[in-house]
Amino acid sequence: MENEPAFIQRAQKGDHDAFAALVDEHQRYIYNLALRVLKDENEALDLTQETFVRAWTALPNFRGQSQFRTWLYRIITNLCYNRLPNLRRSLTDLGDDVIAEIPETDLTFDNPAHGFESHELRSYLHNVIENLDENYRLLISLRYQNELSYEEIANMLNLPLGTVKTGLFRAKEQLRRALERYQEVSWTIP
Amino acid sequence: MDNSLTPEKQNSVIEDALYTYPVASMPRNITSDVMARIKTIPAPRPFRLTWNDLLLGIVFSISMVAMWFSIYNLPPLVVAQIRKESILLYQHLLVNMRWLIPVLSSSLVAFLSALTIPYLRRELLK
Repeated sequence: MENEPAFIQRAQKGDHDAFAALVDEHQRYIYNLALRVLKDENEALDLTQETFVRAWTALPNFRGQSQFRTWLYRIITNLCYNRLPNLRRSLTDLGDDVIAEIPETDLTFDNPAHGFESHELRSYLHNVIENLDENYRLLISLRYQNELSYEEIANMLNLPLGTVKTGLFRAKEQLRRALERYQEVSWTIP
Repeated sequence: MDNSLTPEKQNSVIEDALYTYPVASMPRNITSDVMARIKTIPAPRPFRLTWNDLLLGIVFSISMVAMWFSIYNLPPLVVAQIRKESILLYQHLLVNMRWLIPVLSSSLVAFLSALTIPYLRRELLK
């Protein structure tokens, strides 16, 4: 969004039109995050609305230390914690025992898998992602759909950096196992 | 399809699936709903120091300084008298008002418990 800080400043002074423009701009990503975690359209819509209402009341406290959208993600994540009391625990329980130095993959990287893998395989893996535990879905959504860095996710969720890396690593391991199962099945079925 | 994907190829396929995991589209635009709810909320008031705050601050500071000067400039006889009276008052409380401490503690507990009622009510109504 062009000139977002100006819209935020106007909204902070009580300008409804400026805030409506911000809602228009960000609602899809906030809804998506809620949907990926909750897997329920109505609940996701409800929480998205609640996020913007809370954002409006807390807007005077927004100092611009983080991006506006990241601030909204923090609000929706807290609302998801209220809705799913086990989510917070399942995230902290991930620990940080997996290799400390997992390289951060470049999100603009031109993936060699593009183009040659079947649409069917991609859909299969998307389906596997949908069925991962909610803590993994949250991390994947923040990292890959919202393009936040590991540090940003760790700050946002108030988790150690190692826990975020461990969570994403384990999610990928589950995808790898699903991929192997897929290969076995497609190998046995001619 | 190649059934013997190397680990590197597996990584590529997984990364591809993660990068292309679609962002869900909104079933409907919620801007008007949000704005309707916001209109019932008073406009956010940015944190700002008012002249009242400044005045209160000055009065409080002057009182503290005045108290400090009074305490250190009272005649020793008056200080001793105050100390004696406070000891007597404390003894009086201990002897004649033993019920006061449990009553105050219970009231505090009841007050703190009452503070949780709106939150519990909200949770129950969800």
